[in-house]
Amino acid sequence: MIAAVVPAAGKSERMGQPKLLLKLDGQTLLARVVSALRAGGVRRVIVVTPPAEKPESAALAAAAEQAGAEIIVPPTQPAEMRTSVELAIERLARDLPPRHIVLTPADSPGITADLVARLLEAADCFRTHIVVPSCGARRGHPVVLPWPAVVQVSALPQGMGVNALLHRLKDQVLELHVSSSEIAGDIDTPEDLSCWKNTLGAGARYTVRLFALAKERAGRSEIEIELPPAARVGDLRAVLGVRVPALGALMQSALIAVDEEYAGDDVPLSPGSRIAVIPPVSGGAGIHLFERTATPLEYSP
Amino acid sequence: MIELTSLPIDHAAVTERVRSERAGAVCTFLGTVRELTSLRHTLYLDYEAYPEMAKKKMAELEEEARRRWPLIELAMVHRLGHLDLGEVSVVVAVSCPHRHDAFDACRWLIDTLKEVVPIWKKETWADGTEEWVHPGLGPA
Repeated sequence: MIAAVVPAAGKSERMGQPKLLLKLDGQTLLARVVSALRAGGVRRVIVVTPPAEKPESAALAAAAEQAGAEIIVPPTQPAEMRTSVELAIERLARDLPPRHIVLTPADSPGITADLVARLLEAADCFRTHIVVPSCGARRGHPVVLPWPAVVQVSALPQGMGVNALLHRLKDQVLELHVSSSEIAGDIDTPEDLSCWKNTLGAGARYTVRLFALAKERAGRSEIEIELPPAARVGDLRAVLGVRVPALGALMQSALIAVDEEYAGDDVPLSPGSRIAVIPPVSGGAGIHLFERTATPLEYSP
Repeated sequence: MIELTSLPIDHAAVTERVRSERAGAVCTFLGTVRELTSLRHTLYLDYEAYPEMAKKKMAELEEEARRRWPLIELAMVHRLGHLDLGEVSVVVAVSCPHRHDAFDACRWLIDTLKEVVPIWKKETWADGTEEWVHPGLGPA
């Protein structure tokens, strides 16, 4: 079982209002994160709200519950994020502990179901590792921790945050490389929010045509898919494999065509790109000829 | 001449199209539906294409073949849809001044067509099972 812990008890001093109730794309920031975690494969999402006497506590709890989360309402204001995380860990330890927990701040609008699913897939392959999304030198959220690492949080010296655990267990940390748009920036100021609104606006829906075995496995000849801004063919390949599990194995070997050309994983997509999934073509032993390349095909005799 | 068709191919007419007084050699290749693969019996085949891309890739093949060999005329026709045993699935016909070039160009065209043109075939075997023929992937 996979559980997620979302500390949401923080004050939003720089926003001037409870930021987690701000809406982006019609959904509160808190509900977005909970929904992405659940859709990405997390069974149990625990949200730690501010204590009941805080005015925003009830609304946050309602938003989180509606999105499918369990709520912990702490008796007093948690001193720091780590305190909220420890409350959730105590709750989880009372039942059969989860194999991994996914840890993320609630103000991370870049977190998508696809990102969560890919992190969990990596965690499933490398079960003793801590999996962190990264792009270049930047690390992002969420972080996936195996339970034996989770229980070490309470042993950290007073005043140290959960990040100290990542430093302490740095040999166990596995970075999963993701596109820069998926490295979720936190939202701390009204400017951050409007910046995110612009970024999300630039994301796009694509229609992908499926042929032969891909069409048969997916049970349809076309699929609509939403990708983050500045998406490339590699993003599409990963998202398709997760969104349509029947295509998962095939997406390793299938080629992608963009505008009727075989396209490598680094080829950028733009709205209006004509995209198709090309399972290996029938005929000879031609498969060895295929490689994913951004340059035009050279024919060899 | 490049064509995708769901109708039976008149291969004699395709050959006739590439004949020329400038050519001393015409080479035509026919791909036909074979009954036996190892010990398995085929009932029929279904071909499917990504038509826009298939035509574009076939046009690129023509361009490349013309760059390599002194082709006078060239025709590539691929059948799509349901094909019974013995039917013609693909025709490649070329004409050249001399036979060696005609043989080489024709062979290169059919080999490369099968490798890069997005056309797939589904086998329906005599035992009723179906299989997309995708080298490297194993049975569907």
